[in-house]
Amino acid sequence: MNIYDIVFYLFAAITVLSAFFVVTTRNIVYSAYYLLFTFFGVAGIYVLLGADFIAMVQLIVYVGGILILILFGVMLTNKITSVEIKTGSVQVVPAAVGVALLAGILMASMVDTKWRSVETAMPSATTQGIGMLLIQQYAIVFELLGILLLIALIGAASMARK
Amino acid sequence: MNIPIEYYLILSGFMFLVGVAGVLTRRNAIIVFMSIELMLNSANLSLVTFSSYMGNSTGQLFVFFVMTVAAAEAAVGLAIILAMFRNKLTLNIDDINILKW
Amino acid sequence: MLNNFQEFYNIIPILLIGAGFLISLLIEMYFKKSDVILPWFTILIFLAAGFHALYAVNSVSVIFQNMLATGGIVNIFYIIFTFGAAIVALLSIDYIKKYGTYFGEYYILLQTSILGMMLMAGAKDLFMIFLGLELMSVSFYSLAGLNRKRLKANEASLKYFLLGAFATGFIVYGIALIYGTVHSTSIDMIASRFYELSSDKLFIAGILLFLIGFSFKIAAFPFHMWVPDVYEGSPTTIAGLFSTGGKAAAFSAIIVTLGVLFTGRIGNILMPYLAVISVLSMFYGSIVAISQDNIKRMLAYSSISHAGYLLIGLAAGNSFGVAGVIFYLASYTFMNLGAFGIVALIEGKDESNLTLKSFSGLASRYPLLAALFSIIMFSLAGIPPFAGFFGKYYVFIAAIKSNLTWLAILGVLSSVISVYFYLRIVVLMYFKDAETDLKIDVSKTGLAAVIISVLLVIIIGIAPGTIIDLIAFFFK
Repeated sequence: MNIYDIVFYLFAAITVLSAFFVVTTRNIVYSAYYLLFTFFGVAGIYVLLGADFIAMVQLIVYVGGILILILFGVMLTNKITSVEIKTGSVQVVPAAVGVALLAGILMASMVDTKWRSVETAMPSATTQGIGMLLIQQYAIVFELLGILLLIALIGAASMARK
Repeated sequence: MNIPIEYYLILSGFMFLVGVAGVLTRRNAIIVFMSIELMLNSANLSLVTFSSYMGNSTGQLFVFFVMTVAAAEAAVGLAIILAMFRNKLTLNIDDINILKW
Repeated sequence: MLNNFQEFYNIIPILLIGAGFLISLLIEMYFKKSDVILPWFTILIFLAAGFHALYAVNSVSVIFQNMLATGGIVNIFYIIFTFGAAIVALLSIDYIKKYGTYFGEYYILLQTSILGMMLMAGAKDLFMIFLGLELMSVSFYSLAGLNRKRLKANEASLKYFLLGAFATGFIVYGIALIYGTVHSTSIDMIASRFYELSSDKLFIAGILLFLIGFSFKIAAFPFHMWVPDVYEGSPTTIAGLFSTGGKAAAFSAIIVTLGVLFTGRIGNILMPYLAVISVLSMFYGSIVAISQDNIKRMLAYSSISHAGYLLIGLAAGNSFGVAGVIFYLASYTFMNLGAFGIVALIEGKDESNLTLKSFSGLASRYPLLAALFSIIMFSLAGIPPFAGFFGKYYVFIAAIKSNLTWLAILGVLSSVISVYFYLRIVVLMYFKDAETDLKIDVSKTGLAAVIISVLLVIIIGIAPGTIIDLIAFFFK
């Protein structure tokens, strides 16, 4: 058991436990905070996988952007309705069937696959490679992403104004 | 990198299933949305895993796109949720869960 | 990126709509009369893109470093999307006024949603599929809830958003597994390695998740739960777009990505999944539609059952089936837009006149509307000689060719059930007395849009052979 294993199990435990609590906690605010730990744990695993750029983006976009938006949503909607922030759950039986089916498919396929374990070198910084892809082969996709963000802006503004 | 690739994939599969379960069972719109974020995160984790085990940056680029799209969706989604709550306030509907699938 | 003038010429439809929506933003900002200019500008853009796609249908090429394809079936999808959207825009001119306020973003979001659909149809890479899907979906979420003062519209857009994002989760996870096994996101790579990977369970799981995600978008049975509520709550014209353009775009994405499955060169391993959800959607849609009183909900269930018929063509897994699906999508787009157009014309202020009762005795007061609606209902029910009949015919024939006769028989059975609720409306219009005091000002532009769609339904019904040959020529 070397340091990589320990770090992996630590972050995996954080991710798994907090992901589990996100959907089981009855309090929305707690759920949002558990989501913070999930995002953090996933970011740690990205670092372990050698994806430094993605790990940073994960922290900036998910924790700094999306989670803050979600927390704003929680705070604003709860203030307005002044109802209790506990939430119920429904449809446990069909959900259990669906999830069990999916779990069966995924686990069967993962266990069955024979993974070729290629010994890769210690990962180097990935930012340059991603940047090159972004402005060369995937330039068109990058520009379309700009359109998508503009549309999201227009849509959100038109929906949220009074 | 001596942790087998399956470990990462099983972790991501577990997160995905937790997310699906959350979407199917919870009825608060914001919690459902958080569960969807869990699903997207698990997909990202798979993509990054494959990407670094294959030494191919395309997967990480895809994750970058998924994150940006998730941010765009979050903005629109929260706007929708706000618009809905504003109307409920003015229309004074007692029942908070009118969402029936 | 663009190596020569020819490549530039080939993507003019996408460039037109991309530029068009940016210019629309400026028009909306700087012109006081933008509510008059913008709709016509939008229609002009759509028609220009559509006619260019029709004209350049032969210039097949792959551009942007293997990202986008042009020509062939891609252009046929462009034609379906742009002409459908032009009809929607024409219908919307007067329909939007029923809400009392003018929404400039309506036309902008309409254009971007079409841009997203076109990117999906032309995709050569999973990046494009994903981006196109999200462009379309984000525009749709906003369009569904545009009338933000109404709780029903909010609910519709919230439901559409949550289930759409849920479907996106499945699609992204599916793409992750496909990427992990194919080692590339290029659709050509997926196609060339499909056979060797078809025994790899992880790859199949990825394809299955991808298909489950798109099953939400095409409104197939176990994933249909958003459809009736969203169609009921969103503006009627937009509901028409969801049921036609949105469905056609999702089918185009499936056909583009898994095209190799449907050429008949390798076995259609996904046949069981496609056949099962096809049968379930057909019967569920047809049976539940009978009990609906709200016309928009009835059309929503009819849309679910049509998703089932379309899936028969994919389950057949031969190129004839795919050609049938594309033909069916073209005819379905125009007939369903006609149906939603008439509903939009009859709909009064505050979403009144939407029950079946409003249609009784329509023929005596608005004979033209009743006649047009009857043609559309006959076509939707699959009664010859209208376009809807040939769509179903080609799809069923394709199923029989693939030894799936039982599927074709079930499809015919479901069609027979669906005749009941389509023809019930015709009977109501012609043989019943008016139950409500219906007074509507029939808008000229809206009526023109409906007449154009009915004409297209008739034209497609007259010359189905040429169209299907054209499609089959491009999909080999």
